[in-house]
Amino acid sequence: MIKRHRGIRYVSTGIRGFDEITGGGLPAGRITVVLGGAGGGKTIFGVQALAVGARQFAEPGVFVAFEESANQVVENTRSFVWGIDRLKGKSIDVVDAYLSQSAEQGGEFDLLGLLSILGQRVKAIRAKRIVLDGLDVLLANLGNPTLARREVFRLREWLQDSRLTAIITAKADAADIRLSPEYDFLQFMADCVVTVQHRVVGGTAMRFIRVAKCRGGPHSANEFPFTIGEEGIEVGAGAAMEMDHPAPTTRISSGVERLDSMLGGGYHRGSSTLITGSPGTAKTTLAAAFAVSASQRKERTLFVSFDEAPAQIVRNIASVGIALGPHVASGVLRMHSLRSRVASPEAHVAHIRELLREHRAQNLVLDPISALGPGGEESLGQRAAIEILDLTKSQSITGVYTSLLGNKAALTEETPIGISTIADTWMHVSYVNQGGERNRALTVIKSRGTGHSNQVRELILSKTGLTLSDVYSAGGEVLMGTLRWEREGQERRKQHNFKRELEVRQREAALVLAETQARTRAALSAEAVQEAALERIKAEREESDEQVATQSLELRQRRGADDLRVARRRATRPSAR
Amino acid sequence: MSGTRSTKGGTLRLRLYVAGESPNSVAAIRHLRAVLAGYPSLHAELEIIDVLKSPEAGMRARVLVTPTMVKVAPSPERRITGNLKDTNALVAVLGLTEAPRE
Repeated sequence: MIKRHRGIRYVSTGIRGFDEITGGGLPAGRITVVLGGAGGGKTIFGVQALAVGARQFAEPGVFVAFEESANQVVENTRSFVWGIDRLKGKSIDVVDAYLSQSAEQGGEFDLLGLLSILGQRVKAIRAKRIVLDGLDVLLANLGNPTLARREVFRLREWLQDSRLTAIITAKADAADIRLSPEYDFLQFMADCVVTVQHRVVGGTAMRFIRVAKCRGGPHSANEFPFTIGEEGIEVGAGAAMEMDHPAPTTRISSGVERLDSMLGGGYHRGSSTLITGSPGTAKTTLAAAFAVSASQRKERTLFVSFDEAPAQIVRNIASVGIALGPHVASGVLRMHSLRSRVASPEAHVAHIRELLREHRAQNLVLDPISALGPGGEESLGQRAAIEILDLTKSQSITGVYTSLLGNKAALTEETPIGISTIADTWMHVSYVNQGGERNRALTVIKSRGTGHSNQVRELILSKTGLTLSDVYSAGGEVLMGTLRWEREGQERRKQHNFKRELEVRQREAALVLAETQARTRAALSAEAVQEAALERIKAEREESDEQVATQSLELRQRRGADDLRVARRRATRPSAR
Repeated sequence: MSGTRSTKGGTLRLRLYVAGESPNSVAAIRHLRAVLAGYPSLHAELEIIDVLKSPEAGMRARVLVTPTMVKVAPSPERRITGNLKDTNALVAVLGLTEAPRE
């Protein structure tokens, strides 16, 4: 990996993320000065660059220890994967160059003794790289700043003549990365100046690296966070500059059937999915459903949670019928909990990288990825999150990340950690308040390479797991939960009521008719009664008329009128004969 | 080292590490010899080592700064760096009393 900028060849430091900052590593055959406070990582930077040079680029190196003993330096690097203990005496030489202060000063001196020693060592192993660690210590012990300065220029000439790629480290004021004024010239003689810092950001101790100057190279002057892990220094951000990820087209289930169909078959393998939402919107449950589904396919899965113990998650998720436990037991699923505040975002990234490697994970769930950002410095968390996405993508690991996000923020379509633009799929779960009830609504905001449904679905949690339900829209409004059932019921009822009303009206009409008929009948019978009464009266009157006639006849007979008796007999008994 | 004690009167054993013909080295040899000459009764053994010619020797003694003079015996071992122009410092390192030089 050799790059050239304006005629200057660059050699890789092997430090993850650093080479990208300077556009190739360090200028070959030139001097790089690394400045920083005590414990800032200067020495590790130097040793790592040497070790990687010797191991990967066949460039042997000499390490000159001005500050600690050679044995100490070797011991201190033993814990790194590139530890130089195995290389010592072969492709790496460590020179003890601690200058005892016990020597008296008896006049002008030079560093020819040192250069002679170095020359011999360099020649012996054909070194291409050299680290002068803690030059400030040598200079301070020399005691005479003017002479020291002259000798440093002699050293510089020697380095240039020998065409070594040199790293000189020196202690600088930790706060503002400044050398003591008498050693200021160190910066000017360097082709490249790198500063490392250790400071507390938002309650978390963090390390930062910055390339303050680099001759010839197009470099980023920004400050980048870094960590020191098993692999030594790992600088964040650099990796994100490479966009050369494989893009598999196979689909794997999200663990929720309806969601798979919404996404056109599930998540793309090796893709990253972001699930955003307010607290309690079942983000973790969705992520867990994926973890279980992956585990069922016997895919090694890593579930990293922040600030929540694995056992707690397993228990909580079990309540909705998603069983993580058996997969943890079988070893296919590994759950790990991190404390967000304990380490820096970069340290978390390094830790997760380590876990992924250890578990040989094919899938990663990070719950929530928003926990990476320490308070007040969202950009750091964002950078770390981007790095995670990058890391998983480059290894074709399918990642599902949850992120806390209020409904308000969703409107601006901006996640707090800004990774929504890099994620392949972005789903948002929101609460919808309707009719005194909160329901969960799931929307697929974006999904690369997928003809996804734009419709909102209701996310329903039950004892048997997660389901998505079609939403009911009425009057241009999406209805969910009870309200939806109510509204649906209302519609049903309306229909029902109408029918019933008709029935009632029909019955009412029938009643009225019946009543009318009854009344009619009653009226008719009354008429008949009257008629009958009239007949009776008539009959009575006729009878009484007859009686009157009979009585007058009897009166006449009694008074002796003969002819009337005969006449009366004829009239009263004509048929009696 | 064992020979140091048996040397009667305390023979002074010195090693002067120089870097070739460099001005400071040349000056150091001159200054050291001049001081030793001021003590005629002194038994001194001086070994001059050129670190440019034998860097291993320089490495063994961890001589970074040239010139460096090491008083090997009598013990304790002491060191002085530089061209030895500072006579007082040199005399002190050699463990000699103020030189009664006329």
